[in-house]
Amino acid sequence: MAETKSRSKRLMTMGGLIFLAIGIILYFVKEPMGLNRKIYDLPVFLIIIGACSALKGYMAKEKTEEEAALAGKTFSEFLTNNAILLAMLVLVVVICILQPRFMQIRVALDILTQSSTKLIMALGICFTLLIAGTDLSAGRMVGLSAVVSASMMQTATYANRFFPDLPQVAVWMPIVIAILACMVFGALNGFLVAKYDMHPFIATLAVQVIIYGACSLYFDMPPNNSQPIGGIRPDFAQLGQMRLFNGVYRGFPGISILIPIAVVICIVIWFILNKTVFGKNVYAIGGNREAAVVAGINVFRNIMGIFILASCLYGVAGVLEAARTAGATNNYGNGYELDAIAACVVGGVSLNGGIGKVGGIIMGVLIFTIIQYGLQFINVSPMWQQVIKGVIIAVAVAIDLTKYRRK
Amino acid sequence: MRKIFVTALIIALTLSSCAFADVKIGSCIYRFSDAFMLRFRNAMTAESVNEKAEIIIADSLNDQNTQDAQVDDFINSGVNVLIINPVDRMQSQSIIDKAKSANIPVVFINREPTAEMLATYDRAYYVGAKPEESGTEAGELIANYFKSHPEADKNKDGKIQFVMLRGENGHQDMIARSKYSVEAIKDAGFEPVEIAGAIANWDKLQAMTIMNAFIMSLGAENIEAVIANNDEMALGAVEALKANDYNKGNAEMYIPVVGVDANASALDAMDRGEMLGTVLNDADGQGTAAVKLAVALANGKDVSGQVVDGKYIWVPYQKVTRGEK
Repeated sequence: MAETKSRSKRLMTMGGLIFLAIGIILYFVKEPMGLNRKIYDLPVFLIIIGACSALKGYMAKEKTEEEAALAGKTFSEFLTNNAILLAMLVLVVVICILQPRFMQIRVALDILTQSSTKLIMALGICFTLLIAGTDLSAGRMVGLSAVVSASMMQTATYANRFFPDLPQVAVWMPIVIAILACMVFGALNGFLVAKYDMHPFIATLAVQVIIYGACSLYFDMPPNNSQPIGGIRPDFAQLGQMRLFNGVYRGFPGISILIPIAVVICIVIWFILNKTVFGKNVYAIGGNREAAVVAGINVFRNIMGIFILASCLYGVAGVLEAARTAGATNNYGNGYELDAIAACVVGGVSLNGGIGKVGGIIMGVLIFTIIQYGLQFINVSPMWQQVIKGVIIAVAVAIDLTKYRRK
Repeated sequence: MRKIFVTALIIALTLSSCAFADVKIGSCIYRFSDAFMLRFRNAMTAESVNEKAEIIIADSLNDQNTQDAQVDDFINSGVNVLIINPVDRMQSQSIIDKAKSANIPVVFINREPTAEMLATYDRAYYVGAKPEESGTEAGELIANYFKSHPEADKNKDGKIQFVMLRGENGHQDMIARSKYSVEAIKDAGFEPVEIAGAIANWDKLQAMTIMNAFIMSLGAENIEAVIANNDEMALGAVEALKANDYNKGNAEMYIPVVGVDANASALDAMDRGEMLGTVLNDADGQGTAAVKLAVALANGKDVSGQVVDGKYIWVPYQKVTRGEK
């Protein structure tokens, strides 16, 4: 057994080194051979993938006999468990053949940028999934936060200001107000679920409708009367549009500010889930609610905390959406909750509660974004995109349930 | 439940508003939160005051069933004339039938029922802009730009490689604007080539995502123009271009973008040189014309002098640009 393990380890290291070598060779021959327009940044990707897998293979711990037995899955089991990841890899290869421009650093960075807000949403919603609940109000909270923050962030000269007499306030103020507005509704979610033991599905559905109505009322206030909010102040728009290291070397598009923001939030959420009492309580309530009560966990307070924390993250996502697009309407965020839930499920968060890791969610969001982005990239009809998205969700849940049953 | 509520609301409004107006107009707008229909609503309200008519405007919440119920309520509450902005123009027949059986005139606005539907009732009219005209004007904006800026033909092939961002599938404006903008470019002596196109549902966010994908997959250097069916989508395209360092003031990195509607954000973007131009869909003119026609009909006046083909009032579109970039 130990022998097979070390063989797979050696295989990974070797494979990685081969990728690395091909990448380096291609990197140097692509200019003289005129391959620039055919393979774009493929060598760089090969170098990165090769280096990562070689390093991983080299660093991997020797597994104990027991772990090895557990990990020693059959090939078909490996296929089912990673079906979506494999499907994504096949899709990426197909897209690269159809449209070689996909192999560009700027495309990879663009995918990361688009993943950022989705990831923030998914990290919020995962708390509600971890307690075997859900949150249908997430998307509308994004809309609320976008409208509220954008409405106070217009340039003084814009013809159609939401608040014509509002002075140019500091950027942080509308952001805080927008996030607080979301947290109020998050508290309402938590209260309905915790106090009346309502199923989160119906409680958050009710709150979703309330938020959309409230947001539309705000959006319809004279003199705005439901017009799309525009004329956003550049200092606010920078929050979502700024690019770091832009043009450091020839043709480098820069790293969107959204990526480091998402990374910081990931670290914070990872810390909360793994290193705090609150995080342990979330898993405990999700794993077995009765046992958690018996163990003396204050379920009411923890559930309130979960929904308020989640709504805070949706608020952040909404502010970033408004900044990124330099505008807002009450329809922003419509349906985002479903994408976020789907990404969580693809990333291994169990709908039965108690199971889910930050790393998995990051993977889920990336897989989902890459598939969506890739389909758009080769201009697949939006109707087919919907069909494919639905199939992915169904397959992911099916896999989740099979795993659950096996345990 | 909703029906009872709407009825109660209408009764309340009827009682509270001036009781001596002899013309009562019942109006449905497909969705209040549509910026263009808002201008329309404001124009209708203002003109009703001028005409000393009473107008009640209901929000159909983008739902045809809601709208049908609202029309029933209007008829029951005794309005003299209807001004209807259908949710689904292909389902306007039931509204025409309701008006016909109640024997009150009906004026459709913004979303045009088919000629066959309008023909079924002699007192059914349509006030709007000819959608093909907005397409023509948008296409001419692009053609004029290429005439005065030969360098805009980046690959020097004498053709205009453009991206088309379309509105909601099946919408009359989407069909006409897409078709006639291309026709206008042809008529101006250029050869238009649609290198990519997609439906972005009039929506800024969707347009931004789609445009971004086009920039990545086609390369911004290969796109020579962007034609959007409305301003919000044009602005989405502008944001995507800006995120790729285009349309930020560098003449080398500029792609002309045109929209339709002339809303405040578009004019703002044009002032900053981020967008080439837009076409004003004259909401004020149409709203005013609709109320004038409705009042004349309710008073039993002969309107044959005002309408063309016995059914239509066409309000012209206008090009809007900000000088030369």
